[in-house]
Amino acid sequence: MRLAAAPAADVRLPAWRARVLVALFAAALAVLLGRAAYLQGMKHEFLQAKGESRYSRVIEIPANRGRILDRNGEALAVSTPVKSIWAIPDEVRLDGAQAEALAKLLGVPARELRKRLEDTERDFVYLKRQVAPEVADRVAELRIPGVFQSREYRRYYPGGEVMAHVLGFTGVDEVGQEGIELAFQGELAGRPGSRRVIKDRMGRIVEDVESIRAAQEGRDVVLALDSRIQHLAFQHLRDAVAQHRARAGGIVVLDAATGELLALANLPTYNPNNRAQLAGAQLRNRAVTDAFEPGSTLKPFTVALALDTGRVRPDSTIQTAPGSLTIGPATIRDAHPAGALTVRQVIQKSSNVGSAKIALGMPAETMWALFDDLGFGAPPRTGFPGEASGKLRPAKTWRPVEQATMSYGHGISVSLVQLARAYTVFARDGELVPVSLVRLASPPPARRVLSSGTAREVRAMLEMAVQPGGTAPRAQIMGYRVAGKTGTAHKQENGGYAPNKYISSFVGFAPVSHPRLVIAVMLDEPSAGEYYGGAVAAPVFSQVMAGALRLLGVPPDAPMTPIELPAPGAEVKESV
Amino acid sequence: MLGRVEAPRAPLAEYDQGLAWSAILLATLGLVMVYSASIAMAEGARHTGGSPTYFLARHALFLAVSLVAAMLAFQVPMRAWQRAAPWLFVAGVALLALVLVPGIGREVNGARRWISFYVANLQPSEFMKLAAVLYTADYTVRKSAVMDSLGRGLAPILAVILAVGWLLLAEPDFGAFVVISATAMAILFLGGMNGRWFAGLIGLAALGFVALVLASPYRVQRIFGFMDPWADAFGKGYQLSHALIAFGRGEWFGVGLGASVEKLLYLPEAHTDFLLAVIAEELGFAGVAAVIGLFGWIVFRAFVIGRQAALAGRHFAALVAQGIGTWLGVQGFINMGVNMGVLPTKGLTLPLMSFGGSGILANCVALAILLRVDWETRQLARGLPA
Repeated sequence: MRLAAAPAADVRLPAWRARVLVALFAAALAVLLGRAAYLQGMKHEFLQAKGESRYSRVIEIPANRGRILDRNGEALAVSTPVKSIWAIPDEVRLDGAQAEALAKLLGVPARELRKRLEDTERDFVYLKRQVAPEVADRVAELRIPGVFQSREYRRYYPGGEVMAHVLGFTGVDEVGQEGIELAFQGELAGRPGSRRVIKDRMGRIVEDVESIRAAQEGRDVVLALDSRIQHLAFQHLRDAVAQHRARAGGIVVLDAATGELLALANLPTYNPNNRAQLAGAQLRNRAVTDAFEPGSTLKPFTVALALDTGRVRPDSTIQTAPGSLTIGPATIRDAHPAGALTVRQVIQKSSNVGSAKIALGMPAETMWALFDDLGFGAPPRTGFPGEASGKLRPAKTWRPVEQATMSYGHGISVSLVQLARAYTVFARDGELVPVSLVRLASPPPARRVLSSGTAREVRAMLEMAVQPGGTAPRAQIMGYRVAGKTGTAHKQENGGYAPNKYISSFVGFAPVSHPRLVIAVMLDEPSAGEYYGGAVAAPVFSQVMAGALRLLGVPPDAPMTPIELPAPGAEVKESV
Repeated sequence: MLGRVEAPRAPLAEYDQGLAWSAILLATLGLVMVYSASIAMAEGARHTGGSPTYFLARHALFLAVSLVAAMLAFQVPMRAWQRAAPWLFVAGVALLALVLVPGIGREVNGARRWISFYVANLQPSEFMKLAAVLYTADYTVRKSAVMDSLGRGLAPILAVILAVGWLLLAEPDFGAFVVISATAMAILFLGGMNGRWFAGLIGLAALGFVALVLASPYRVQRIFGFMDPWADAFGKGYQLSHALIAFGRGEWFGVGLGASVEKLLYLPEAHTDFLLAVIAEELGFAGVAAVIGLFGWIVFRAFVIGRQAALAGRHFAALVAQGIGTWLGVQGFINMGVNMGVLPTKGLTLPLMSFGGSGILANCVALAILLRVDWETRQLARGLPA
């Protein structure tokens, strides 16, 4: 009862106890202050690094892919904006009518759509990629929660199947897979940039911290291609392939002065904008990737070498009777035995025996050296992917009969591009120019292969070959002097020659007085009856050359008189 | 005589303006920071309807209601509080029991802490904190004559506190248990409890605490997470590691109001238990120091007000004032310590600031009572009836 008797406050509530508690609180708050200062003033770098590892991300800024343009600036390949429609299944709320409308717009079966949206395990599903912007707008109008769109690009090729092999195509992620798209991937793609950003826990960007590297847009690539000539070449080749029921065909148009590739087409082809069903055969850029035995189109080179080395003159006589030549176990034949022919006539009539006899008068090494100079047996290095180098065996391994057959284009193989380029030697007075896929500001340095005199002499012979009395009168063009050579070769099959399968070709240039274009045409297995190069390939050359010269405004160098064709049955058939 | 000792020369203010302003400042800062911390969460969550002001609007409403409640509480004389103390305590115990009844108590994240009314949820443990202060103070004053007696003085109140603790742990609400136990012990200590017994009790409490932690694996986990949050930064240490990152990002003056990254769904409970981390990130050490300082001032004023009441012979009022100071101080310290990784993580809000209607209401009423104690003391000092 001591306390009750002594009601003094400081006895019952000792002041020192309150002071102890106040001191404890002061100490506790001081600890907090110290801890805060330590965390915020000393350890902040460590803590910030920890934080950055959790929400700082480097994101890629895509670079727009460059366009592919033809030499006149026409767009051949462009990236068009498209939308991809995607959804967060857990957030999607849609009624039956909306589901039906969405399925209809996207062209996806409603059942399939529902299946994807029911997969609530996933945070993200594509409903449809690469949708046209108009369709995407209509999807947006449905205002379905949880359905989103993102911007993407899709490569579009206005030229479609006409340029398919030249341009190639890209994959869904816009990486070149074939053709120019692959060859110039580095230039076209540009370099994606990157930025450091801070993302919230849902992955949304909330802060743009810094640019690490600016995106470098892809550059436009300006091709040497002239899309007008390309269309022309494609159409006539397509018509010829259809008419002669050929298995395949190819055409190459070169600028004789610069080596620029003005057109290149192959059949069969494909639509690069819709590659749903693509077969290997359609994809092949035959003119570049396939080598074939060219046949008689090589004869002019044999003759040129003999002229250049002084072994024959244009009017030297070669005895081709009796129309066959036996070398060891093998016999070379002419289709129409012709007796004694001048060197000019060997080209004009395309005599195998004449050509073989001229070749056998020269060392193998010399012939090999010329073929090598012309670029046979090595890839032409145009930049196209998968270039064929063709077959050219070393001279040491040549047997005489092989040297003889090579003189008229057997036992050796070339691609159509190689063949067209080799003919620039005749079109430009003995010099060879490299083939260029891109437009050039000035002609590239050329390499002399033959003397200009020889080249001019052979040019004259090649002009004779397309006139009545030659093998390709149907290569003629009204108003222009034309020169060229047919080729008709048995196809190789199972190590031998197939008796009735042919590759028909024609290589030529015009106008002869000042050659502007070199065109090489090839049809694989024409099977509608005719198979001679002069009947199958030469007309394609003529049509394309005539159209192209007019398009380019090349002045005529011949009188505008109707061209002369030999009477039916009187055509000169070349030896096969 | 005592009144003359304390009488200032200048005319005495009607109430403790510094205390009132500190509380208003904390509550206002709390409102702003709750809004800032909750925008991202409110926009992303479905139950908020995607409205960014969902939590702001509710918190503002809670504050308004609490202000009215505080003004009403201020009108109640301390004598009335003392008479009501046992009944308030009984009511609190009843609510704590009610919350455990399935169908009445609402369970969130494995804890049954709320009683759902149609407009709002009531958290009985927040009111229990106030009731415990009032009841323990009343008990200490009533039984002051027998406080030296173990059987008649100390044991009954300890039994009552243990019973309340058992109810709280059944929810479970470990944080409230710690705050209520610490506050009750402090009031007993201040009330002149026998020093040796007190020391013995502290030892017992420490032992009990260790046993409790060992008995509940999830608390052990929490303690391990607190020791080294980086060891399991994406598991147990996730919450704390993000709170610490927020402190580190804030540096001295913060990244700026609204610019916190941690609140963007990285830091869980940013608007409730971890509000200080968002303050640390957005306002920096300056903001944290201001909060610590304001809490320190409130606690200090509570003890001064209590001391003055004691000198005036108003023992119940004195113990209530210091009890309230202890409550706010302990809870504030634990919350801030948890945010900084000084203490193990437990579910305690920052008084006056964190989002939560019951907590704000209880805190505001407590402050009103504190101001009432001061006001009555001043009235007495002027020779007016309290």
